[in-house]
Amino acid sequence: MSVQPDLPAQLPRATVDDSAAVRLTRVTKTFGSNRAVDDVTLAIAMGTVFGLIGPNGAGKTTTFSMLAGYLRPSAGRIEVFGLAPSRVDALRGRLGVLPQDALLPDRDTVGEFLVCMARLQDLPPRQAAAFAREALDLVGGSAWWRQRCSSLSHGMAKRVALAQAFLGEPDLVLLDEPTAGLDPRAMWEIRQIVKAKRGARTIVVSSHNLHELEEICDAAAILDRGRVVASGSMTELTAAHEEIRVKVPAGTLRGSKPGQVPVQALRELPSVKSAELDEQRLEIVICFDRAETDAEAVIARLLRVLLDHEVRISGVAKGRGLEQRVMSLT
Amino acid sequence: MSPLVEVQLIAWRELRKSVRSVKGLVLAAMTLAGGAGASMLFAWIDRLKREALPDGVDVQALQQQMFTQLYGAETGQALAGCPHSLWMMLMATLWLGPLLVALLGFDSIPSDLQHRTVRYWALRARRSSYVVGKFFGAWLVVLGVTLGMNVVVWAVTVVVARLPAGDVLSWGVRFFAVSIPISAAWCGIATLVGSTIKTPFFALLAICATFCGLWLVWVVSHLADIPALSYVYPNSYGPFFLSPRPTETARGLVGTCAIAVLTAGAAALLFERKDL
Repeated sequence: MSVQPDLPAQLPRATVDDSAAVRLTRVTKTFGSNRAVDDVTLAIAMGTVFGLIGPNGAGKTTTFSMLAGYLRPSAGRIEVFGLAPSRVDALRGRLGVLPQDALLPDRDTVGEFLVCMARLQDLPPRQAAAFAREALDLVGGSAWWRQRCSSLSHGMAKRVALAQAFLGEPDLVLLDEPTAGLDPRAMWEIRQIVKAKRGARTIVVSSHNLHELEEICDAAAILDRGRVVASGSMTELTAAHEEIRVKVPAGTLRGSKPGQVPVQALRELPSVKSAELDEQRLEIVICFDRAETDAEAVIARLLRVLLDHEVRISGVAKGRGLEQRVMSLT
Repeated sequence: MSPLVEVQLIAWRELRKSVRSVKGLVLAAMTLAGGAGASMLFAWIDRLKREALPDGVDVQALQQQMFTQLYGAETGQALAGCPHSLWMMLMATLWLGPLLVALLGFDSIPSDLQHRTVRYWALRARRSSYVVGKFFGAWLVVLGVTLGMNVVVWAVTVVVARLPAGDVLSWGVRFFAVSIPISAAWCGIATLVGSTIKTPFFALLAICATFCGLWLVWVVSHLADIPALSYVYPNSYGPFFLSPRPTETARGLVGTCAIAVLTAGAAALLFERKDL
């Protein structure tokens, strides 16, 4: 995935991908003097689950709203399947969106709302009802068909909105904070829905929940103050293919005595480029040459050395975790 | 999908929504009750007037005289035989029509904007179709309520004023037809103003202010003797539709349709460029 003229040097650059479902080229959006999105260039490959990550005010929702055609860019170009998002007729049925704060029409029943949406997707009345029921089933809401939208709880309304986004199986689905405000079970279920769609359609998820994004996304872009500060596959972003982190309990020191971390011995392991004990984070950070070996082989050797030295281990992880990566960049 | 189908789906949904809303039902009930009450009063006065007139007085001639003063000789002659109470109701409908349009349609687009519900529609329908659909939806609701009120008025006129049902129906339908294009013009203006404002309450104020402003323009046009200026006020096309001349009716149609098309078109155009 991903084309990034302004990518940080440490991230590998992918070539321009003609199969991109979404392409943003030097997109800027200003509101008065506020530059909400600043010269963003991105390409999202077909069939991937792509995350838009960043703190509040990073420009995620603005970017998302431009992709959905709700906002027009002040400068630059946005293409969804090669078309401007404002080309509603050409994109009809190919684009599904879960907007963040949009309320459902309160006087409609859930069934009426979904059928109306399906009819506007050019489905004949009978098929529209069938598709609407199918979409509602997908989010576990088939019992709500006759219920007024105004009587739904926040979680139920979110699921109905999600059903609306997946209505008619669109090729591209944009989800803005799909699990915000939901209980853990509902969050898990929504993650499973997204995972089940992976590969079959392109899904763009904008969220604050980094653990969730790390779990469901194939790739992501990290935004900060309107700019893309990093972009790439999840493995690239978390450095999972060139870095290993071993958690150790509090009080663990470096040294050669039993129970201490033999940093020098770790540095001498094959393919290891560096080894450090981060006493603040209580982590041993190992960087290795991914051209020579893979992470699993390094983990095996590393653990052997540590266990030989009777070092107590709390956990092992490939890469630094998305959260840590985002924290370091934003 | 054709824009016409989009407009049809959105207008139909708007109609269904209004029929279900408490506001729509209350306004419809008030309009029907008000129409029934007023027509009863007009019909009763009409009957008393006719009964109180001495024998030999030609009621039609008196009406013709009055209508001639208002609309000119040709229209006066054409309206001479109409039930006076129905004409009074037509005037009431035309004067209160803008209020009905404002109250029924003020939140149609602004509440969708305020709650961002419009985002569900903007993804599936051209924005212009959405606005035009809302316009037609509002117009259909207003026409439905007006027709309901007219039917009540016709029935009351037949019973209370004791006039022949055929006469009442033929004049009633004709007078109702006058309100159709005029209410379209009012709905167009309300759609244009409403589509630019996100808060329903402010939209109501702005729509009412615009309607009052247009009425003031009409007053000024008469005081300053600038007839051309009066045509921005949709009710000023009423006399065209009452005229027996088809060319006058056509002029009225062109004028009101132009207002409706220009305002709804401008609303659609502005909405196309709007950030939602």
